[in-house]
Amino acid sequence: MKIPERILRSVEKPARYTGGEWGQILKDKNAVEVRFAFCFPDTYEIGMSNLGVRILYDVLNARDDTWCERVYAPWVDMEECMRREGIPLWSHESGDPVSCFDIVGFSLQYELCYTNVLNMLELAGIPLLAADRDDTAPLVVGGGPCTYNAEPIADYFDLFMIGEGEEVIEELVSLYKEHKKKGFHKEKFLHEAANLEGIYVPSLYAVSYQDDGTIAAVHPKYDDIPVKIKKRILTDLDRAPYPKTLVMPFIQTVQDKITLEVYRGCIRGCRFCQAGMVWRPVREKSPEVLDRAAKVLADATGYDEMTLSSLSISDYSCIRELTDELLTWTDERKISLSLPSLRADSFTKELMERISTVRTGSLTFAPEAGTQRLRDVINKNVREEDILRACRTAFEGGKSQVKLYFMQGLPTETNEDLDGIAALAEHVIDEYYRTPDRPRKTPGVTISAACFIPKPFTPFQWEPQCRMETLLEKQSYLERKITNRKIKYNYHDARVSRIEAVFARGDRKLSAALAEAHRRGMRFDSWDEHFHYDRWLEVFDAVGIDPAFYANREFGEEEILPWDNIDIGVTKAFLLRERHRAYAAQPTKNCRESCSGCGADKLGGERACCPSLKK
Amino acid sequence: MLSEPKKVRVKFSKTGSLKFISHLDLNRTVKSAFIRSKLPIWYTQGFNPHPKTVFSLPLSVGTASLCEFMDFKMTKEMSGDAICERLNAAFPAGLHALAAYAPQTKFSEIGWADYEIRIEAVPMDAAEERVREALSGPIPVEKTTKAGTRTVDIAPYGKLLAVKSASGEIVLSVRLSCEEKTFVNPKYILEFLTQKLGFPSERDDYTVCRTEVYFLDGETPFL
Repeated sequence: MKIPERILRSVEKPARYTGGEWGQILKDKNAVEVRFAFCFPDTYEIGMSNLGVRILYDVLNARDDTWCERVYAPWVDMEECMRREGIPLWSHESGDPVSCFDIVGFSLQYELCYTNVLNMLELAGIPLLAADRDDTAPLVVGGGPCTYNAEPIADYFDLFMIGEGEEVIEELVSLYKEHKKKGFHKEKFLHEAANLEGIYVPSLYAVSYQDDGTIAAVHPKYDDIPVKIKKRILTDLDRAPYPKTLVMPFIQTVQDKITLEVYRGCIRGCRFCQAGMVWRPVREKSPEVLDRAAKVLADATGYDEMTLSSLSISDYSCIRELTDELLTWTDERKISLSLPSLRADSFTKELMERISTVRTGSLTFAPEAGTQRLRDVINKNVREEDILRACRTAFEGGKSQVKLYFMQGLPTETNEDLDGIAALAEHVIDEYYRTPDRPRKTPGVTISAACFIPKPFTPFQWEPQCRMETLLEKQSYLERKITNRKIKYNYHDARVSRIEAVFARGDRKLSAALAEAHRRGMRFDSWDEHFHYDRWLEVFDAVGIDPAFYANREFGEEEILPWDNIDIGVTKAFLLRERHRAYAAQPTKNCRESCSGCGADKLGGERACCPSLKK
Repeated sequence: MLSEPKKVRVKFSKTGSLKFISHLDLNRTVKSAFIRSKLPIWYTQGFNPHPKTVFSLPLSVGTASLCEFMDFKMTKEMSGDAICERLNAAFPAGLHALAAYAPQTKFSEIGWADYEIRIEAVPMDAAEERVREALSGPIPVEKTTKAGTRTVDIAPYGKLLAVKSASGEIVLSVRLSCEEKTFVNPKYILEFLTQKLGFPSERDDYTVCRTEVYFLDGETPFL
């Protein structure tokens, strides 16, 4: 820790910066060959909660030749002190400047963190553009959900790891070590790295554009590198590395508990959902493996809360066995189990009685749309009866508050669908009064509505986002429709959603906008107090970019999309088929009911539900 | 298993990174360390069972201490050494159990505490005398409470024990009141010195460490 104490005393939550937590990994820096700075481009509280970071920190530090350390974005008060006093960005474990590391890796979880990435590179004193970094500069790499279309930020990265990182990150480190030994030559290294499956080296793929701004072609720089980069997956999750301990934060973090990852992928296939597509195929862990991992983590961390994590936990085929197994020891050890999200159609009384967070606090369901027609369009195969039945179960169990998640601005949405949101909330209230053994409290329904953002690798990837004015109209329309004071209506800031849409479907031309935003001191865009829509519009204007080209344009089905050079297993043909079914309001069966031929099964997988993978 | 849970007091130090965590966060850190230690900690018997831990004195964020105390209950008898050993194996660096025993006193009997204040300042002439002189008269400071800001003379509630100036550092030892109504935060001494002598200036780094805690008599170390 090299930060003067007077600075630590002057900033908010100084424990964000000190390091020294229980569970952190300390090594002798002279005894390792590769030093890896794992950067999370947001605050400590958010970064410390991320499961991917926890897993990869463990994977890298399991190697004797590598020391992986943590780095977070300093909050603005600390950044001011650092700039004033010339303190470079440092790592938590050793306190060494990030610029002295071999590899600097960023976890890219959401588009609005991009300005933080640039800011952190600058605070570290590392040249921002990959092209400006020579053989002696750290290698800057990225991974995480945003790398499925990392084009807007591609100019700043030497390479991206596409897909699940556990194996490829090790291969990358091994290759780096080899090259370091024989004298690191960046161009040679990148050429070789581009041939590792799952590694995308953007500088080795030149992009040319048509006059209308769409992509004309992508030209690989060498003949021997793949034209399409295939995402990585772990086929057997029972054998996947999982942390045996965690770094215990000194201050409360967003997910301040044990996270037990139950399975990857999702059987559902909601047409707006990127996670549901890019994590395919579905692969489960066995209850015995999970129970063992849970015990190890409970012993090693001292956490008294554990959450079962996956995209839709109630769809886990062994949920009963798993909760049975866990409850044999968690209750006695005063460890409470929680669930992140529930589907209304598989929410049962039994599940509610088992899970403590379901016992206390409010319940959340996500109908996503207000009418059955629109729910069919988005392939959210939940009926109103399911939602009302789930709410009744909750009311019988002593609940009086329900939270409902919706999306506004979905393709084909009309005012009728918005009326449906208000009506559904009313019906939930009615259901409460129809439940004989309800608690004696005033019921409450909170509607929380996000704005639809078209995301790459979804059936809706071609769809335009509604224009800002339309989104705002939709919000005020629904606000007027809700007159019952037992119903509360919250909605996301449409301006934030629009900027997110620009970068979600962006191409490399946007790197100029990021540079300009950075030059103007913008960062922490995902934080309300630091998000400035008008400044973003000025930035786009200054670099001659029309944000509507990315956010509000319907992309052509024949068009080369910025992310077409990534292969996630799920085919473009499947996504197109799903898009057309959406327009016909035709739902698609979930993966367990029948295979819809998305193409992800060719990646393989144990305990998957794809018929082709069953032995 | 004891029929009645037994009260245990642990004397511990809080240094390094740990001095930057708040009282609330210390509580969380200790709670998880209890679980890791596998000590037979007694939990409250309610809907939401938790170990009932009571800490002695509040400690400002940024202040280290060699003499903190916490009380909790255990369901089995264990030797003090064994308790310390188990806790130290589970504590993060910076938290260290020094002694464990059955308490005979109450935290409300604490009256005074010693602090060591180290100021990294440019060497100056006769620093020791100037500090001694500055702290020999009234020490008016601005105290902010719920009722508003008022000026209080803290001289009756604190005394300078020693001051040394060596190799770019000025080290003060002070004894300050810890009683609820007359509690003196060591920061007041620093603020007063800045105002009177111009140091520590904004750019001077300093550390504060609580080194001993006393009963109301101001002489007998608290146990």
